[in-house]
Amino acid sequence: MSQELTFEQARAELERIVSELESGRADLEEAVRLWERGEELYRLCVGKLDAAEGKIEELNRRAEAVRPQP
Amino acid sequence: MKVEATLHGDRKVYSVSAFNRGVGSWLSRLPTLWIEGEVTELRRQEGWQSVFFTLKDLEDGSCLPVSMPRTTFDALRLEVADGDKVHVYGRPELYEARGVFRLRGLSLEPLGLGAALARIERLKRTLAAEGLFAAERKRALPLLPRRIGLLTGNEAAAKRDFVTAVAARFPAARVLVAETLVQGVKAPAAIVATLEALSREPEIDVVVLARGGGSFEDLLPFSDERVVRAVAACPVPVVSAVGHEQDTPLCDLAADVRASTPTAAARLVVPDEQRLRADLERLRAALGRDTRLILERGRHALAADAQRLTRAPALLLERKRAGLDAVAGRLRALSPRATLERGYAIVRTDAGIVRSARAVAPGIRVDVELAEGALGARVEETRE
Repeated sequence: MSQELTFEQARAELERIVSELESGRADLEEAVRLWERGEELYRLCVGKLDAAEGKIEELNRRAEAVRPQP
Repeated sequence: MKVEATLHGDRKVYSVSAFNRGVGSWLSRLPTLWIEGEVTELRRQEGWQSVFFTLKDLEDGSCLPVSMPRTTFDALRLEVADGDKVHVYGRPELYEARGVFRLRGLSLEPLGLGAALARIERLKRTLAAEGLFAAERKRALPLLPRRIGLLTGNEAAAKRDFVTAVAARFPAARVLVAETLVQGVKAPAAIVATLEALSREPEIDVVVLARGGGSFEDLLPFSDERVVRAVAACPVPVVSAVGHEQDTPLCDLAADVRASTPTAAARLVVPDEQRLRADLERLRAALGRDTRLILERGRHALAADAQRLTRAPALLLERKRAGLDAVAGRLRALSPRATLERGYAIVRTDAGIVRSARAVAPGIRVDVELAEGALGARVEETRE
């Protein structure tokens, strides 16, 4: 989990956590742990939405000819 | 034909007219044949003897001027226009008055839709056999692309429709627009190069091909083998929004998702931000509620335990007391006191309880215990 999750990974994990909690199988300690993780994922998702800044850019048509290959 | 020259010293010199006639005569011996190309610069006027156009090579754009008798051209009853791909039956000639080489067209056939369709159909079968269109190859579109690549012609409509729809649904979207040639013989190579350049750009998570409607020929580059293969090989998912609903260029089949219009493509590549946020809030609410429920359940169980715990000593005491009472009852039942209550008495001497008349003699003092109190007495007589 050291790698930054994508929006959909975070969203999918949040979904899994909710259904795990919904099933009522989790014991108390597990429930609290899941809740904390769920909140963290929620903040991550909302953060990604908030951070995104709309932008329309143009790729120079000549760019591929001029730019050296990395 | 004899071409006459004049002599200037030892130099043989031809007049322009004679030279042209000579070349023209030589050219006229070449065979009549079919030539394939695209019609451009078509000029036809009522007063003219001939119709003129330039036939352009489909691959490299080489040009060949063509003249065709107007009556022949009109008799074909074809709606030939610039951009049409045709087969022209003719022979080379020299327009001697101007020294211009050209093709004398005798007949013309539009390069049938049939031929092009058959070619596409063959390619479709080949590529399908390779598995290029297989459902297993289709990738899911990202829910929230970091950056969207848009490949489009320099026509305003497709780009505007896409960008407008994206911005309406998801104002935070980032779109990288790459305009390129989408029509004509150079389009396939241009599309391939642009697609590759776009997909190399950082953070591009999806590429959209957007091209408004057009004629069958206009859309041909999107059925070109190079383009179709490039779409299939694109490292990120591709959405194809080329032409109208009824057109199915092969790139539609190779793309991961097909959209009927650029606007529909926008709906596919970006989520509705409002809905996405509402969905997150719903998940979060469920998260809190479900956790609270589990905690609540734990708390209830704990409270019940605690209650049982506090009640336990009292219960124990009560039980002990009940047990004690039972014992006491039994004890009481066994005590002589109850017997005394019924009217019996206990007679004692110094030697103990008197159970037999023989244990005493007249004159002896005895002690008589009654239910209430006791009394001292002397034995008057004894009877056996």
